Amino acid sequence: MSMRVTTLMSSRATLRDLNDGLSRLTRLQDQLSSGKQISRPSDDPYGTSRALSLRGELGGLDQFQRNVDDGIGWLNTSDTALGQMSDVLARVRELLVNGGNDTTGPSSRAALADEIDQLAESVKQEADVQYGGRSVFSGTATDTPPYALGGADTYGGDAGTITRAIGPGVEIPINTDIRTLLGDGQGARDDKLLNTLRDISDHLRGGTTADANALRGTDLQRLDANLDVLNGIRADVGARTNRLDIASSRLSGLALNSTKLLSDVEDADMAQTITQYTTQQAAYSAALKAGANIVQTSLLDFLH
Amino acid sequence: MTSSFFGLQTSLRGLLTQQQAIDVTGHNIANANTSGYSRQEAVLEPTRPYIIPANSVNNGSGAQLGSGVDIAAIRRVRDQFLDLQYRAQQMSLGDASARTASLDKVEGAFAEPTDDGLAAQLSRFWDAWSDVANAPENAGARSALVTNAQTLTASFRTISDQLTTVAQQAQDEYDAITGASGDIANMASELSGLNRAIGDAVFRGMQPNDLMDRRDQLIDRLSQLAQVSVTDTGNSRFRIDFGGVTLVDPSTPAGFTWPQTLSRTPGGKLGALADLASATGPALTYRTQLDAVAADLVASVNALHTSTPFFDPAGRTAATIAVVATTGTVQTGSGRASGENDVAQAIARLRGGTTDQMYQALVARIGTEAQAAVRAESTSQSLVDSIEDRRQSVAGVSLDEEMTNLIRFQRGYQASARTMTTMDEMLETLITRTGRVGL
Repeated sequence: MSMRVTTLMSSRATLRDLNDGLSRLTRLQDQLSSGKQISRPSDDPYGTSRALSLRGELGGLDQFQRNVDDGIGWLNTSDTALGQMSDVLARVRELLVNGGNDTTGPSSRAALADEIDQLAESVKQEADVQYGGRSVFSGTATDTPPYALGGADTYGGDAGTITRAIGPGVEIPINTDIRTLLGDGQGARDDKLLNTLRDISDHLRGGTTADANALRGTDLQRLDANLDVLNGIRADVGARTNRLDIASSRLSGLALNSTKLLSDVEDADMAQTITQYTTQQAAYSAALKAGANIVQTSLLDFLH
Repeated sequence: MTSSFFGLQTSLRGLLTQQQAIDVTGHNIANANTSGYSRQEAVLEPTRPYIIPANSVNNGSGAQLGSGVDIAAIRRVRDQFLDLQYRAQQMSLGDASARTASLDKVEGAFAEPTDDGLAAQLSRFWDAWSDVANAPENAGARSALVTNAQTLTASFRTISDQLTTVAQQAQDEYDAITGASGDIANMASELSGLNRAIGDAVFRGMQPNDLMDRRDQLIDRLSQLAQVSVTDTGNSRFRIDFGGVTLVDPSTPAGFTWPQTLSRTPGGKLGALADLASATGPALTYRTQLDAVAADLVASVNALHTSTPFFDPAGRTAATIAVVATTGTVQTGSGRASGENDVAQAIARLRGGTTDQMYQALVARIGTEAQAAVRAESTSQSLVDSIEDRRQSVAGVSLDEEMTNLIRFQRGYQASARTMTTMDEMLETLITRTGRVGL
C-alpha cells in the first residue's frame, strides 16, 4: 500500500522545501554581495586556515616591501653623499697637482691650503648627510653626526650595523662604515682621507723641500689610495642597492602570487555563483508556484 | 418470530450510529490543522443478534437475526513505535541545535577571516615592530607600536569575554529551563494532571483520545530537552523518566517530582547546554587555547624585549594580557645607540611563528567543529522531518479521506432512514388496511 498522504503533510513538505530553497538563495546572495565564499570558519575550515596563513604571508610581504623601499632610500642617500665626496676628491687632486708644481709660489700655496681645509670640511659635511632625520654614516649612533664640523677630525659614531629585513630570515646591512674612508684625522696617523687632507694642507703651508717632495710623492699616492677606497665603497653601496631592487621585484611577484592564491581560496567565483543563483531562483519560484497550486485543492473543491 | 417493530429499532440504531460517525468525522475535519492531533476513527460493530429459537426455520434449527449496528469504540489512529523514533531524533536535534547556536556565537566572536580578526591584528602588530625597526629613533613609530599592541590585547580580552559569555548563556538557559518555575516544571505538572484524568477515564472503560494526544505532545516536547523514557503503569498512566531521573510517577501523591538534579549527561538540549557551560565544553576549551596563544605571544615577545617587559609578565591569559611598555620603554636594540634595531628586528621576525600558527590552528578547529555541528543539526532535522512525515501519514487528517467518509456516512444515514420509512409503510398497511374487508 502506498503511503497515506495527509493535509498537514503536504503543507509541511511545501513549507520545508520553500525554507530550504530560500536559505540556499540567501547564502548565494550573501556570497554575491560580499564577493567572498568564506564568511565564517565553518563555511570551509580548511579554506579558512589557508586564507589566514595567506593573509599573514601577504601582510609580511607588504611589510618586507616597505622595508626594502626604506633601505633603497637610505642607500641612495649614502650614494649621493659618496658621489659628492668623489667630486671633492677630484678637486683636491687637481689642487694637489697644482700645488706640487715648483712654479707655484708660497702665497699661492697658502691659498690652495685654505681651499683644501675648506674641502676637508665639506667632506665632513657630506659625511653628515641625513635620511629621515638620521645620520646615515654614524653606525647605530644615528643621532650623532659622524664628524663634528669645524672641530676635531675624530669619528663620532660607532661601528654598529643597521639592517633591513627583506624576506623571512633575510636581513641585509644598509649602512656604510665611513670610518674606513675618512678615518680619525691627523692625530690617528691612519692615512685615511681626513688625515691625508690635513697633511696636504700642512705640506702646502710648510714651504720646505721635504714638503714639496711630499706633495708630489706620498701625498698624491695616499690621495689615490683613498680614492680607491671611496670607489670600493660606492661599488659596494651600488651592489646592495641592486640587491634591494631585485628583492623588491621578487617581493611584488610573490605578493601577486599570494593575492591570487588568497582570492582562489576566499573569493566567490562570480560566474559560477551567479549561475547557481539564477538556477536556485528559478527553483524557488517553481516551488512557490507549485505550493500555491497543490496545497489548496482537495476533494472539497469538487463536491457540491 | 420477531416483533413487528423489530425493524424500526434496527433502523434507528443505523441512524444514530451513522450520525455519531459523522460527528467523529466532523471532529477530525475541525482538527485537520491542530498540531499533535491524531485522527480518530469510529469503530462500527454489529449489535448482538436476535436469537430465533429452534424449530422456527425450515430445517428445524434456530437462527440469529442481525439487530443493527453500534459504535464499539472511538479510537485514536497512532503508531507508538513511530513516537519512540521521533522522540529519539528530537533528542539528537535538541542537542545539535543548541550546539550550532552556541558555536555560531563563538564564530561571531572570532570574526575570521576578516581584516578585523585577531590574525589581521597580529599581522599589524608585527608590521608595527618592523616599522620601529626601520625607524628606531622615531618616537612616532614606537607610539604607534604601543597603540597597536594595546588594540591587540583589547581584542584578546574581548574574545575571551565573549567566550565566557557564551558558556554563561548556556548555563543561564539550562537554569531557566530546569528552574522551579521553568518549562520542565510546567510540563511535569500538566503531565501528572493528564495522567490522573486519563487513568480515571480508562478505568471507566473510555478512551480519552484528546487527552492522550495532549500528553503525547508534551512528551514530544520533553524529548527535545533530554532523554525520555515512558512506561505504562496500568490504566494508561505513564511513568516518565527524564534525563536520568523519574520526573512523572503516578504512584506518588503529587504525581511528579521537580526540581531534581539531572544526570551529568541528560542528553538532548539540556545535555548540550550542560556541556557548553562546562569547563571542558567547546567555548571554555577555545578560551583555554586562546589563553595559550596569548601566553605564547607574551613569552616570545618578552624573551626578546629584555630591558623591561613589553607585555605584563603576569598576564598570561587572553583575559589578562596587557601591555606595560610605553613609548619611552620600547626597546629597539640591545645597546644604547639610538639607531640600533636588532631587538625590533628579532621581534618582527616572530611573524608567522608559533603565535600565529597556534591561533590559525584554533580558528581551523572552531571552523571544523562548527561545521560538524551544522551538519549534525541538518541531518537530525531531516530525520525528524521524515519521521514526522511518517507519523503524519498514520495519524494525520486527510481531508479527502474525511470527505469520502462524510459521503459514506451520510449515505448510510439516508439509507437507514429509507429502511425506517419502509418499515413505517409496512406498519401502515398492517394497521390501517388490514381487517377492513367489505368496509
